[in-house]
Amino acid sequence: MDAFRIFIVEDDLLYGEMLRHHLALNPDNEVYLYRNGEECLKNLYREPNMVSLDYSLPDMSGLDIMRRIKKDFPEIPVIIVSGQEDISTAVTLLREGAYDYFVKDDDVKDRLWNVIKKIRENLQLRSEISYLKEEIGRKYEFRNVIKGNSPTIKQIFSLIEKSIKTNISVSITGETGTGKELVAKAIHYNSTRAKKAFVAINVSAIPKDLIESEMFGHEKGSFTGAVTRKIGKFEQAQGGTIFLDEIAEMDLSMQTKLLRVLQERELTRVGGNDLIKIDVRLIVATNLNLSDEVKKGKFREDLYYRLLGLPIELPPLRYRGNDIILLAKHFVDEFCHENKMKKLSITESAQQKMMQYPFPGNVRELRAIIELAAVLTDTDKIDESHISFNAVDAAENLLMEENTLAEYTRKIISYYLQKHNNNVLLVAKKLDIGKSTIYRMIKEKQIIL
Amino acid sequence: MSKNQELYHLDKLIGFVGDDPAAIQNMVRIFLQTTPELLEAINQSFKQQYAENMAKAAHSLKPTLDVFGIDSLHEVIRKIEQKARAEALDNELHELINKLNTVLEDVFKSLKTNYL
Repeated sequence: MDAFRIFIVEDDLLYGEMLRHHLALNPDNEVYLYRNGEECLKNLYREPNMVSLDYSLPDMSGLDIMRRIKKDFPEIPVIIVSGQEDISTAVTLLREGAYDYFVKDDDVKDRLWNVIKKIRENLQLRSEISYLKEEIGRKYEFRNVIKGNSPTIKQIFSLIEKSIKTNISVSITGETGTGKELVAKAIHYNSTRAKKAFVAINVSAIPKDLIESEMFGHEKGSFTGAVTRKIGKFEQAQGGTIFLDEIAEMDLSMQTKLLRVLQERELTRVGGNDLIKIDVRLIVATNLNLSDEVKKGKFREDLYYRLLGLPIELPPLRYRGNDIILLAKHFVDEFCHENKMKKLSITESAQQKMMQYPFPGNVRELRAIIELAAVLTDTDKIDESHISFNAVDAAENLLMEENTLAEYTRKIISYYLQKHNNNVLLVAKKLDIGKSTIYRMIKEKQIIL
Repeated sequence: MSKNQELYHLDKLIGFVGDDPAAIQNMVRIFLQTTPELLEAINQSFKQQYAENMAKAAHSLKPTLDVFGIDSLHEVIRKIEQKARAEALDNELHELINKLNTVLEDVFKSLKTNYL
């Protein structure tokens, strides 16, 4: 750690020298002694880590000096040392931001040591936090996060770059496991908002009745169970980015409230009256097609346009060609590195097996498959026998259920309807059956949409 | 030595700066430089009946006397400050200031002999 710079501002030369000598006993401390306020203020450019200030100085009061220090350097802890005990002065000083208040008595030196120890610990924590923040930034450097060489993914890179440069809202669509949240984080941690919070809400995971308070917070006593004031996710994300995942699941009344907040750029906590200004960047994601939801009347059109911003559509892994292999190799390396294993290679036949698989769970599924394969192999190679697709197993499991043909038919049609957003015509075409068959099953409630 | 110990003791000072003869000598030097000035300020203020200045000087002198362990003046300097703040510049105060002068004269002499 660098030297810990301490300013002692003390007009009593003897006392000041004594403190200086005392604090300099620790070689890590770099101690400066000033006889008046003006000298101290002139030297603030040295950026002290702490200022010990005598309350009654010849040229100005301790309070005035502290205010001037705090104005330019609000983070420097200021300790007031006073010749006499005066509770009301102490209270005023502490309210104005003094770190501590001492009386010049026998305990001063022990108290100073303790305070310095605390401030140093605090400084160390702060530098650790800023280091970790930078680490996160590096971790989410988007080319480290999103791997791929396929033309479709390169197009995504260019969109992410565009979104980083501005504050535009971003709407991310893509099948499950394509990396929507990763893209959102990559945008946040590479943007100018990186030093502030990234707050994610999964809309579908929060019960309808609680979502407003989750998003906007609530005041104490605003409803049964609201025993304390709660700060909502929007306020937590102040200055940063809020990520609303599965936005299509939001019910219409909440959509109206969200739209108002986005338009006014201010919110009111549930049960509160105060308007709170908010400055957050919005990123939303969904695996449904929002414009279809608008047509069905499940999503407000005005909100849709407000959220759309820059649309980023993440391609399913099966359309990304060789990226499958590139990602597979990346995941193997990462897994081996994290688990301190020796490097593994993927055989040609294993690669071919993966290229033929549709990956309904996309990148997330690929990663799971690769990690399992890395554990299963006993050699330094992953071959096709180590690659097992859960979805295939699921189909086998389905057959093992030994249902009636009618039951299987119902399951298959339900699965397709769900996959294709209940588009009956499309499903009928895909399965090569009459649409009336499907309509009849819906009407008879064999299939529940 | 026993006379010195009655006059003053440097335990507190050593607690601050450590048992370092050079540092102690330096502090004694500063003491001998600053304390007579404050004492003079108190004497002058009494002559000129300038209570505010006297209170300030007494206030500044207080921690110095404590650090040099001049226990016989512990209460004296506090009373001087109180009386000056109360603007009670009376005979009792005069007595107190006399005592301050007498004791400090001895302290100065002894410190000079022993440390410089």
